[in-house]
Amino acid sequence: MLVSPYVVHFILFVAFPVTFSIVLTFHKWNIISPMEYTGLNNYIRLFNDKTFLKSIGNTLIFLVIHIPLQIIVALFLAEILNQKIKLRGIFRGAFFLPVIVSGVVVTILWQQLYGYDTGLLNRLLTGIGLDKVGWLTDPNIAMSSIALMATWKNVGLYIILFLVGLQTVPTQYYEAADLEGATHMQKFFKITLPMINPTIFMVVILSTIGGFSLFIEPYIMTGGGPLNSTVSAVLYIYKQGFFYYHMGYAATLGLFFAFIILTVVVIQKKFIEKDN
Amino acid sequence: MKKFKSTLFYVALTVSALIFVYPFYWMIIGSIAPENEIGNLTLMPKSLTLSSYSQMLDKIPIGGAFINSLIVASSITIGVLIFGSMIGYALSKLVFKGRDLIFYIIIFTMTLPFQITLIPQYIIMVKFGWIDTYLALIVPYLINALSIIMFRQYFKSIPDSLIDAARIDGCNELQIIFRILWPNSMPAIITIGIITFMASWNEVLWPLIVIRDESLMTMPQLVTLFAVGGRAESQLGVKLASAVMLALPIVVAYLFFQKYFIQSMASTGIKE
Amino acid sequence: MKNLLNIIIVVLLAHILNSCSISNKDSRDEILYWCSNDNSEIKFAKVSTEEWNRNNLKDQVKYQPVPEGRSSEEIILAAVVGNTTPDIYSNMWQGDVEAYAQAGVLIALDSLNGFLDFLYERCDSAVIEEIKSLDGHIYQIPWKINPIMMIYNVNLLNELELHAPPQTYSEFFNASQKFQKDVDGDGYVDRWFGYSEVLVTWWQRFFDFYPLYLASSDGAPLVKDNKAFFNNEYAVGVFRFLQTLYKKKYFAREQLTARQDVFLASIIATRFVGPWEIAHAEKFKPKGFEYDYTFMPVPDGHEGPVYTYGDPKNIVIFKTCKDPQAAWNYIKTMINKDGDLKLLTITNQLPRRKNLNSNPFFQEYFANNPKMKIFAEQSKYVKGTDASPVLKEVFDLISQEYEACVIYGKKTPEQAVKDASDAVDLLFLQ
Repeated sequence: MLVSPYVVHFILFVAFPVTFSIVLTFHKWNIISPMEYTGLNNYIRLFNDKTFLKSIGNTLIFLVIHIPLQIIVALFLAEILNQKIKLRGIFRGAFFLPVIVSGVVVTILWQQLYGYDTGLLNRLLTGIGLDKVGWLTDPNIAMSSIALMATWKNVGLYIILFLVGLQTVPTQYYEAADLEGATHMQKFFKITLPMINPTIFMVVILSTIGGFSLFIEPYIMTGGGPLNSTVSAVLYIYKQGFFYYHMGYAATLGLFFAFIILTVVVIQKKFIEKDN
Repeated sequence: MKKFKSTLFYVALTVSALIFVYPFYWMIIGSIAPENEIGNLTLMPKSLTLSSYSQMLDKIPIGGAFINSLIVASSITIGVLIFGSMIGYALSKLVFKGRDLIFYIIIFTMTLPFQITLIPQYIIMVKFGWIDTYLALIVPYLINALSIIMFRQYFKSIPDSLIDAARIDGCNELQIIFRILWPNSMPAIITIGIITFMASWNEVLWPLIVIRDESLMTMPQLVTLFAVGGRAESQLGVKLASAVMLALPIVVAYLFFQKYFIQSMASTGIKE
Repeated sequence: MKNLLNIIIVVLLAHILNSCSISNKDSRDEILYWCSNDNSEIKFAKVSTEEWNRNNLKDQVKYQPVPEGRSSEEIILAAVVGNTTPDIYSNMWQGDVEAYAQAGVLIALDSLNGFLDFLYERCDSAVIEEIKSLDGHIYQIPWKINPIMMIYNVNLLNELELHAPPQTYSEFFNASQKFQKDVDGDGYVDRWFGYSEVLVTWWQRFFDFYPLYLASSDGAPLVKDNKAFFNNEYAVGVFRFLQTLYKKKYFAREQLTARQDVFLASIIATRFVGPWEIAHAEKFKPKGFEYDYTFMPVPDGHEGPVYTYGDPKNIVIFKTCKDPQAAWNYIKTMINKDGDLKLLTITNQLPRRKNLNSNPFFQEYFANNPKMKIFAEQSKYVKGTDASPVLKEVFDLISQEYEACVIYGKKTPEQAVKDASDAVDLLFLQ
């Protein structure tokens, strides 16, 4: 049967891990010593773990900044590109460049741009007479800086998606609006936006799922600091599991976090269904 | 009025394009500038040097990492194409008991966040003795739900008559897939191939977990550890050089296949 | 069904082929010794094993540097998990031993013939108490230490008319104030009396908080009886000392070490560092540059000797070793008087041996290396780490409060130390 490889793979890499994960949450294990049954200890520890709860909060802050920013910028640029623009291919290519490159490259690059003394951004700011900004050293804005960088990296993809969506809007609507003397802005808000609702919501869901897996950027850029303001949930789970080898506890964190992700996505999907 | 609006658009686009491209330019010239100039760099360094690159080559086996990434990403891509098309074909054209159940299971696994399976998957790798081997990097990724769905979708649009004709000619199922379906599904294959290759090339969390041996590390993993660990000794030029090396392969591929890249990514969105 | 069978066969084959490639390490007859990949330690291993192998044809010892790249701690962990541990490992950080001891992968050395006698002859009883595991057995052999002390620039201090380096917190503040300057008049301080990396990484505390804490508290533990022990006036005092240094800009908050050695460039006058700095300084110091070492600063009114952190590295024998007694016989030659002298001369690291500064056997070495003398004096008052399987995390929790209080000034020292202590208690409850 052709599907048999899938079944084997599924059992090995999905069914078994999920079950084992649940079992692990009730144990304490550091790989080198035997597993120790600990009942609900891991769960109790989770709810007392201020840093973990903070990491979830940090991830949510990231999403709340990153997603709207991304949508606005992507929509803006897509709308312009959708007009009769020459060299559209070149612009599109430029916007898409950060998307294909590894997140590692982008992070290393932006770490330099964000440097307090020698970073390009602060030099530009002081060049025009403004103060230096603690992009990565100010606990209040460090996560926003990461969100900004993530937007820069991904916006190209969403510009493309929006372009596709924009092109599905039937031109008759615009022509009709032109006859009534509508301005560009009016056409955009009254025709375009409602018509591309599905695309917008797809972008939201894709960004959300992507945003929840935020890991390599804070790992390289700040290691989670300053003052734990950039520890993402995945970074914290990684640290618990693969730095301290608290396997049982990390499994518990993972399970809990997966639950949160599913909840958020379900809520978002319900939101779409209601609106449509 | 129209002219004004038009120029406004071009200005906005150009400024934006610069914002997206200039940092890369800066990264490149930063990697070929002498160390003490990087802090003051904007347009062109006063002198050029390749010392950052030679130092980097001394410190880390970046060539080996490139080969590792190539092997891993290629294997995964080939595997995903083969298995994805096999299972997508079965789900779209064949009738058997449990077909719908498997389809729903596949959809379900797509919604499962990886955070749940991360730890147990690592433990499986430990128990199988696959830590620090290519197997750990490749096998878990060989079967990909998204590719199955996409193949299934695409195959549905291929007329049954084509397949029936092949069967009459005596082809078995595998032959049908590779001799009939594949040649007729180039767009899907290219799309899925590019997405899979890109995703596996850039994957870094999993290698960080299962590979500790430097000679087996993938390129993004090696560069990450280089940037985060003390080996770069806080020298910016070397870090930038390693980032440039990491970006190079994909950017080169992108320059040649730009059209396909963009089309692939766009169609993932559409399929959602 | 046939396809399913095929696939299972392929998977099994791959697994088998893979396992075969993991070489048959069990069939070795020689003793495998992993040393660190530091060049001078590799040299030591070479010299030591060659001499042993010449005189012992039966139990040959082969040395192998730990592979480069990741931290050696990870390499060991991978080896333990994969059951590919060497027989002897000489670079184990004292703080790591307890976890491995509890996992049952180390040989209990006190069961070996002649071990305890030899140990008591070489080491202080205080040291032996320190390296005992929680179950009362001994799983590690104290090998070497690199005590953290305060290096200072003699010329700069003379300029400030300080003819002795500061020994107490107040003296340190006074000196710092005198030294602080805005050299180029741009409104920003560019001379600092001292420097410590503003990193939240757990091991950074070995170079600021921990040695100061040990100095202030006469070697008190951080954790004891599965609880935090450091919620005391000493830790609070250290936090306050460091917090003040950063607040008053006597220490720089930015990372200064990116492009230069700030001590040799006279941008700072002191630093908390170990003896390894001597080799570096001798190689790169500018003409006329004079430096020396002294003890860590202590709170005003402190009496008695000044303790510090010794960054101890110890030798262990893994359970996979087929002949631990033979391995121990070799190790004895690494740490007897000759071995210890070799360690000093080849690597310039101190053996953790008692009476190092008074033992005539080593006098010649210290006469030739006068800068090392003070470390020999210090070696009597050196502490390693407490026995605990989660020490790394303890330091990490302390580091987080350190960041909030000392570097960002967001918490009082009392609050920070208490929060760290509570977090550590919570950790031990697991």
